[in-house]
Amino acid sequence: MLQQAFNGLVGGAFYALLALGLSVIFGMLGVVNLAHGAFYMLGAFGAFIALDAFGLNFWIALLLVPPLLGVAGIVLERLFIRRLTPLDPLYNFLFTFGLALILQDLVKREYGVSSQPYPRPQELDGTVDLGLFTYPAYQVFVLAVSVLMCVAVWLVLTRTRVGMIVRAATERPELTRGLGIDVGRWVTPVFGFGIALAAFAGVLAAPMRAVNPLMGADLIITVFAVVVIGGLGSVFGSVAAGFAVGLVSALGNLYVPALSQILVFILMAVVLLWRPAGLFGREEAFR
Amino acid sequence: MRVTGWGGCLAATGLLLAGCGGGPGGGDEKISDGKVVLAVLNDQSGIYADTSGRQTIEAVKMAVTDFQAKYGDKAASKTIEVKDADHQNKPEIANSKAQELYDRQQADVILDVPTSSAAFAVATIAKNKKKVFIDVGAASTELEGKQCNKYTFHYGYNSYMLAHGTGAEVTKDGSKNWYIVYPDYAFGQDMQKTFSAAIKEAGGTVVASDPTPFPNDNFSTFLLKAPNLDPKPQVIGTMQAGGDLVNLVKQYNEYKLRDKGVGLAVGLLALSDIHSLGSDALAGTRYTDMWYWNADEKSRAWADKFHAKTGKRPTANMAANYSAALQYLEAVQRGGTDNSDEVVKQLEGHKIEDMFARNATIRAQDHLLLHDAYLSEVKPSSEVKEPYDYVKVLKTIPASEAFQPRPDPACRL
Amino acid sequence: MILTRLARSGRGGWLLLVAGLVAAFALPWLIYPPVALDIACWALFAASVDLLLGFTGLLSFGHAAFWGGSAYCTGLIALHTGMPFPVAIAGGAVFTALLALPIGFLSVRLSGIYFAMVTLAFAQMIYFVANQWRDVTGGENGLQGIPRELFGLDLSDSFFFYYAGLPFVLAGLFAAWRIVRSPFGRVLVSIRANPDRARALGYPVDRYKLQAFVLSAALAGTAGGVFSVGHGFASLEGVYWTTSGQAVMMVILGGIGTLWGGAIGAALIVQLQDFLATAGFAETGIITGTIFIVVVLLFRRGIWGTARHLLITRRTPATPADVAAEPKKSVDTPV
Repeated sequence: MLQQAFNGLVGGAFYALLALGLSVIFGMLGVVNLAHGAFYMLGAFGAFIALDAFGLNFWIALLLVPPLLGVAGIVLERLFIRRLTPLDPLYNFLFTFGLALILQDLVKREYGVSSQPYPRPQELDGTVDLGLFTYPAYQVFVLAVSVLMCVAVWLVLTRTRVGMIVRAATERPELTRGLGIDVGRWVTPVFGFGIALAAFAGVLAAPMRAVNPLMGADLIITVFAVVVIGGLGSVFGSVAAGFAVGLVSALGNLYVPALSQILVFILMAVVLLWRPAGLFGREEAFR
Repeated sequence: MRVTGWGGCLAATGLLLAGCGGGPGGGDEKISDGKVVLAVLNDQSGIYADTSGRQTIEAVKMAVTDFQAKYGDKAASKTIEVKDADHQNKPEIANSKAQELYDRQQADVILDVPTSSAAFAVATIAKNKKKVFIDVGAASTELEGKQCNKYTFHYGYNSYMLAHGTGAEVTKDGSKNWYIVYPDYAFGQDMQKTFSAAIKEAGGTVVASDPTPFPNDNFSTFLLKAPNLDPKPQVIGTMQAGGDLVNLVKQYNEYKLRDKGVGLAVGLLALSDIHSLGSDALAGTRYTDMWYWNADEKSRAWADKFHAKTGKRPTANMAANYSAALQYLEAVQRGGTDNSDEVVKQLEGHKIEDMFARNATIRAQDHLLLHDAYLSEVKPSSEVKEPYDYVKVLKTIPASEAFQPRPDPACRL
Repeated sequence: MILTRLARSGRGGWLLLVAGLVAAFALPWLIYPPVALDIACWALFAASVDLLLGFTGLLSFGHAAFWGGSAYCTGLIALHTGMPFPVAIAGGAVFTALLALPIGFLSVRLSGIYFAMVTLAFAQMIYFVANQWRDVTGGENGLQGIPRELFGLDLSDSFFFYYAGLPFVLAGLFAAWRIVRSPFGRVLVSIRANPDRARALGYPVDRYKLQAFVLSAALAGTAGGVFSVGHGFASLEGVYWTTSGQAVMMVILGGIGTLWGGAIGAALIVQLQDFLATAGFAETGIITGTIFIVVVLLFRRGIWGTARHLLITRRTPATPADVAAEPKKSVDTPV
């Protein structure tokens, strides 16, 4: 049982990282980034390519791939997203949807639909004794790193001036602008950062999940549900909802396997009907 | 727009009239339209693109070449064409494309068609249009059961073959207690049923069986549960396929379940999956296959020819399509016509022996190809001598045992 | 040029209507009949989505539930009762309207992306039910062998069935047009433009939204019913979220808030899919994705919307009827 809960948290770590990125992007730009899953996939493929073509191991990939894709995100924002942000959010929704299709099929064209092999880093091949039970070292690592990442982001957001501006702009965009803060300057880096987070999750996923062009598309719908449950634009909410959804689906698999397929959606519908802006969201952000 | 509309109308009417004029005259000829057209309809862009996909078209073209080389001037038809279409895994596209292939591209037979829903849709079209359809890619046994018809054949494998072979043989080998995980849709549910039946028949027990979401990337719950079940299962039977299977196996290895005495048996395993995981990740895993490229001289020789053409090793699906195309052409040759009723007559009950189908018969009552299947095991990388040679065949399951022993009474051709 | 002159004469609307009808009737002569029927069905489906998106301001990402749900219901009626197919389609449409009532009741309280997500969630639940309830729906295998019964008439030829199915589509499109032009439709547009003001004026906004949602679902259901009888089966694909996405895509491509634009989007996408199936180019996503991006970046009004915009800006002065037909300007303005 405890082991199962722990496993749920590991699954939730991926949701949390992806949801966190989605959430800051949404908060700052008002963009619902449908290409987020594609960048998660690119992160995993980045790790695969680094190993396959350049012989760079997992650790180097973990340091290298997210910033690279983050830069790609920055370019993307400068070239396209920026032009569409003043319009109805629908247009960026559709733009990123088109982008996701293209990225996914470009990778498919190059590598096929089958999964690519990626080994676990040797240092983390064993198991760890956690007192009550033993657990695969790699999964413990994933959970620890994700939690650290979320905490680090939280600290940056709460303890630094930049962070405060971003958080203020995320959660109360009009008010922040009203205070004379130049929100625009931070838009591009935040977009890049959100993409880098997705890529980070992708690299982490490579050793334990199937690396194929569809891996992001399969996941992104659930992550959307996670963000909506947490409250779009709420940084804390999306992380909390990420881990919570991970837990719920792990326990759902255990006790009601037949229902597990839609558990997340039931949860989302219930939350939305009870609190229309999500658990930690603010109503006026969306009216 | 109006003008082009009417112009198009007139042009179309003209064409239609011309078509009608030409139609009746063609009725007498032995080979319709003066040529035999084989059409491959499969998934070239979705999740099945690597197990069959575009490479299958090459395999079918090889069958045409071999057929022409064998008969030369005596071939029943001088011209044999191969057409193809991508159904993108959508049954409605399969449905319209099948009509178009039969009607407009003069296809005499449609081959492959993975995913059951698409296969059923095409089978219905084949029945209405009275044209031959030889399905390779779909696993559902309903194709030779409730959904069977006079013009549809099921060639290669089905869920019975996959589940029964592995379930029965692994149990007989001493792994009595099973834990089954299966994806929660028709294929998985069928597999779970057949697998359980085969295990019980062979004297084993299914300790538990759980449906999993589809698609799914986190199987930890089930894997953590496995060793704690009572009695402890000796083997996990997974019915997952493609990316889900890769996820499950990666996580199975993380939990070191093999070291804890819980083995792995897989319902459906493609060569491309083993390649994705690396053979060490699956070493020792047993499954049933309809064909393996390096099983003996005959299959190896064909695989070499395929490799020379495409640079890849063929999957079992590609070989099955080759064989299906070849046997269709042979049937045309025997009957001297591509008239569907005659071809069906030639295929029903026919005994086949080629590089794919061994000791094979097409059962007349339900149009299912009965042939030898193989219980196989994935080798550790230390035993892998050349690329893609990941598997050793443990045992040949004779044609008489590999498939359903009796035709489904629900099938009325 | 001719079109501009026609439009200027003020009778453009009628001529376009005639042209549209001629195109609808000529379609199976020009392209492969089963594909023609697909276009007709998707055109109505797109119009139903546009009724919500373009005229009520609600982006439904769960309309597959109605299209696919009706496909199953229509198929089951035709299969088990042997009733003529028009009855089955009507049954499917009624079923979806009933299905839309609770879903709509719970969803219309939300707006924007939340509405999209909650409709998606409900559609996923319908998908789940269709997948699980195998005895009735056939699960993954789909519901096969739906008959095209019409008093013993032989409709097995897709060419003739197109003309049997077309009246439903045209009736549906006509209904959508009537709804948009009615006083009820005007209220919807005002709700889209400014829900708070509409509420302040005393309109029960949520009730209007719910009515629009149910009507839209019934239209989607009609389209799905014709589609399932036309193909002779209903499948899980129909209730999957990508189907909802495809309908939205058609609306955008044709032009939001144009109603007829969806038909053009449908024709384009169905034809493209049909073409790509035999083109030997497997990466369909690259092409559809590029079309998407180009439309979003360059032709935000969509194809029909852009054409109409060009016509209207060239013409002086605009007739009142045409101003009414241009309710989408606010979509282009910042939020």
